[in-house]
Formats: sequence, C-alpha cells, structure tokens
Amino acid sequence: MNTIVDRTKDIGEFIPQPDDDMLICRCEEVTKGEIRRAVHDGMWTITEIRRYLRTGMGLCQGQTCARLVKGIVARELGISMAELEPAAARSPMRPIEMKVLGNEEVTDLWQ
Amino acid sequence: MKRYEVIVVGAGPSGLSAAIEAAKRGLKVIVFDENEKPGGQLFKQIHKFFGSKKHHAKIRGFKIGENLLEEANYAGVEVALNATVIGLYADKEVVVRRNDQVFHYKGDCIIIATGAAENMVTFPGWTLPGVIGAGAAQTMMNLHGIKPGKKVLMLGSGNVGLVVSFQLLQAGCEVVALVDAAPQIGGYGVHAAKLSRTGVPFYLSHTIAKAHGEDCVTGVTICEVDSQFKLIAGTEKYFDVDTICMAVGLSPMSQLLKMSGCLMEDNPKRGGQVPIIDEFGETSVPGIFAAGDVSGIEEASSAMIEGRMAGVCVAEYLGYCTHEEKNESLAELKKDLESLRQGMFAPANRGKKITKTEEGIEISDSLLKNGFVAEQEIERYPGVVHKSGIHPVIECTQNIPCNPCQDACPKGCISIGENITNLPVVEDENVCINCGMCVASCSGQAIFLVDEDCGDGSATVTIPYEFLPIPEVGEKGFGLGRNGERLCEATVVSVKSVKAFDHTNLLTMRVPKEYAMSARFYAS
Repeated sequence: MNTIVDRTKDIGEFIPQPDDDMLICRCEEVTKGEIRRAVHDGMWTITEIRRYLRTGMGLCQGQTCARLVKGIVARELGISMAELEPAAARSPMRPIEMKVLGNEEVTDLWQ
Repeated sequence: MKRYEVIVVGAGPSGLSAAIEAAKRGLKVIVFDENEKPGGQLFKQIHKFFGSKKHHAKIRGFKIGENLLEEANYAGVEVALNATVIGLYADKEVVVRRNDQVFHYKGDCIIIATGAAENMVTFPGWTLPGVIGAGAAQTMMNLHGIKPGKKVLMLGSGNVGLVVSFQLLQAGCEVVALVDAAPQIGGYGVHAAKLSRTGVPFYLSHTIAKAHGEDCVTGVTICEVDSQFKLIAGTEKYFDVDTICMAVGLSPMSQLLKMSGCLMEDNPKRGGQVPIIDEFGETSVPGIFAAGDVSGIEEASSAMIEGRMAGVCVAEYLGYCTHEEKNESLAELKKDLESLRQGMFAPANRGKKITKTEEGIEISDSLLKNGFVAEQEIERYPGVVHKSGIHPVIECTQNIPCNPCQDACPKGCISIGENITNLPVVEDENVCINCGMCVASCSGQAIFLVDEDCGDGSATVTIPYEFLPIPEVGEKGFGLGRNGERLCEATVVSVKSVKAFDHTNLLTMRVPKEYAMSARFYAS
C-alpha cells in the first residue's frame, strides 16, 4: 500500500532553525534538527526516519511523538501530513519485556 | 488457543456497548483492556453529560460507566483487565499479554474500540515535568484524588480543555488562563461561560511561547499569534504556574487495525489515521469492526451508539439475529446517532464559522472570544425573559443536542420542541414553582432562577454551585458577573442540595435588584 515517493523533488538546502535543539521524541531523545536533517539526508518516509533515528521506537512507541515527527517531515518535504504514509504497525503493539514475549502459552492446537 | 465468538479490544464506552449488544443476543464475548479498571475515560468524567434522556443526558460520566458495567455483567460479557493486546492478525487471531505470559485467542469477529491518545504541541520547555496532558490531569484528580498542581495554565479551548479546567477549579487548583491559538473558543459556550464567571481569563489567538524552569515548570510565557499562527513579538505575557495542561486534540489509536490489514486513510476530519469503515463500523476485512474514537474522534455518547451498532452487526454476521432484526436495531441507533450529530458543533460543521443560530439569532461574539455572553447580547435569546416573581433565565445560546431542561420542569415552563438542538424557550404563561429541577438538570449550568424584584430593593438569583466548601446560609460575599468580575455584595439566602439534583447544589443569593440580570456567580 506504499504510495510512490518522488525522490527527484528538490526540497532545497537544510537551513538551521533556532528551535532545532528541541526534543521531539522524548523516549529516544531525538531533536527537531536531527529529524529535519534526516529528511535532507534522504529519509523521506516515516519508516526510513524511524530506522535512521529510532523516533517512536522507545517506551511510548510513538504515542506522543508520531504525529509531531510526521508534521516536521511533511513540512520539510512541503507536503501535507495526510500524504505521508505512516509507519508500519506491527506486533508487539505495546512495549513488552523479551522474557514475557517469549513466554507463550503452550497448548495443544487440536484439543 | 481459546476461541470466542466476539473479541472486543477496549473496555471503554464503545467497546462495552458493543460487547453488551453482542452478548445479549447470545454470543460468547470477551473484552480485553490494558488498564486495571474498565470504563475507558468514562470514570474520569465527573460532569453531567449533554444529550437527550436516551443518551444518558444529565447523568455524570462515571455513573454512565457504572451502568454500562452492570449491563455488561448482566449480559454475560467477560471483561479481562490488565490484558494488553499486542497483536491482531487478519485471520482474527489476537495476541494478549496477561501478567508475565502471552496468550493467543481466536475470534470469529473482532471489534476494535481502542479509543484515542492525546496530542501534544511543542514549545521550548515542553518536556519539563509539569507539562501534562489534560487527560493526565483528569486521571490524577478524578481517579487518584491528587491535585495536578497549584497554578495551572490550560492550552486548548475545546470541550476537553474547558471541562478539565472546570474540574481543576473544583479540585482546588487555580486556573490562571485558558489559551488557544484559534481565534475563537472551540468547545461549548456554556462550558466556557462556567469558567468565565469564576474569573478564568481566556486568551484566544495566543499560544505558549515558552515554559520556564530548570527541573520543573515554574512559569509560562504566552504570546499572541497572527492569522498564520506565527508569534507576534512584543505581545508576550508571563504567568507564574507550576503546571501546563495540554488539551490540543486526540489521535485515534488505530495501529491494531492497520496491522490486521484493514484499509486505512489519513483523514484530518476524523483526527488522523482511521480505518475505512462502512456506516456501521465494518472495516475492509470482513468480521473486523471499529467503533468509537478509533474510527474518528467524537465523544462518549456517540461512541456508545457506534459500539452498539457494531455489536448488532456482529450478531447478524454470526447468525444470532436475522437481517430484519439487525436493520430494525440499526435504524433506531442511526436515528439516535444522527440526533447527536446535530447543531453547530456537529462533525459536519467542523471548521465552519457559524454566525447565527438555527433560529436566526446572532451568536454571541463575546462568548466566542471572551468566554461569556456580554450583557447587551444576553437579552436576544429566547431563554432570557423578564417576569414578576421567580422565573428561570436560561443562558443557553448555541444549538447543541441537549434537552433535559424541557423534561425537568414539572410545570412546563421550558420548551425545546422536537428538534433537540433548539434553544430552550421560557414559556410566558406557565408559573415557576422554584423547585430548581431545571437548574440542576442543565449539564451546561446555564439555568438560573431569578426574582428580579423582591419588593425591598433586592433580587434573588439561584445559581448551580458545584464547589466545596458549600457557603453557609447568611454568609456575605460577592455577586460575580458573567466575566467573573465582582459586581456587588451578595448574601447567601439558601443552599439546596437534594438527591434529585445529583450533587449540583442550588445556591440562592440576594443581590441589589439592579444586578438581577448580571450577577451569575457567588464568591465569598
């Protein structure tokens, strides 16, 4: 379902802004400047940003920053937030310790 | 792997309603919720709800929650708490964390009612302790009995911002200002008026420029914004606060639906990423439904109806009711839902500037900009009349779907008519018996009983009063205007609090008669 991303578009140079040091993703401590710079480094989708910077990958799983990150990336690309494909949703949907995730209930499927 | 006919995710208003409708038709239903208590946001809502009698109007939110739980219990719904759904797959397998183990469940149908999460806005200092969501403030106050702070600034003038601000006042916090970047108040005027008359100032076209403090919030600077929402230099205002509350909208928590392969869309009108659903909540994956805020941000009353719709659809899908029965139930629910989606705050009117009521009366400009109806504006509304003797004065000036006042009056003094959004009209020929039922029934606290001339140069004004401590009879204080300004001396004549008022105390104060139509709050 990914929409085609036109990467030939000229988004101009990275121009520093006074609030570039503002924290956006609190869990992973990523700043606005880092997100904006990542777009200029070629990360044009939320999935790429997430893999590049780990935004939304911390304890809150993007509950707080997903929308903020999306807004910053969209503005940098000069598109609307709705045009930006959101990150993939996959299990586990909530933070969970590995020992719990590995502790599956074992049942006989045919019982 | 355990099997259920219906698995509901989220035990809030819509999830519980869906579960009830399915279970009462004989389906085996389980509801998972990650919280330790069911009810979603309902148990934080200590205010009376709007709507009609059928929509639980004038019942407090937590009571609606209690009633829903009771109904769910009676219908045989299994509610599993501390049960975090961590995965949902297209074949309707649900993976749930319970304690230290992960369990797999299979549902014949799935209803996702996971609700929404609060939005945040950023400004320098927004990560300081003391900057919290309005929902968090509500949880602290109304579930845990903890004051979020002493002095609070609220950002956001939608209904959440207005309602939570009032609750902060009730909890004994000082609300120093209500700020919104929009040029007019977003929520119900009656909610704003409730705050204004206690003296809370509104700053529209303003936003937070900076939160001050090293380890926690010690102050905040707000700043006026232009039509492009850019800060206007030189308009800064500083407030000494320890808490900044944000009520800047909600985003659907729709990740489970996306994960299961339901077609999604980014719809700003619905609050963000939402599943593409039909009229009754079915997604693109047959047998997976969505109900409540997860499919578009609205409020609890409509979420409950959406939940019921999904529950009925599921019952038919699995063969527990006929097509005709389903259509009959859905037709009725649809009518209820439509009646809630009327008036100037209807989803269809979002973003539109409405200048006149459905009756053709101009909307109060002061109400939208300052949070209170100006004295020269109030007389144009049909609930504001002058009579000799005690009579109701209804300062309800916007078309909202709400009509309990009409049924509250045993003498028929108040009429709204068939259309639930009509402004209430005070009938001329019927005589008020001063019972106070209308005052207590108004969820917007917009009804007052006024005796404009007691014959001795004084007037009495009865106001709804939901603060503690309750003033003593005989106490001397001040009558406050709609804007919270001290107008005159006032003496408490009586305080009535009977069970039928449901904790809305009726405080009657005596004021000089020239203030009969302007004194609307009491402060000692």
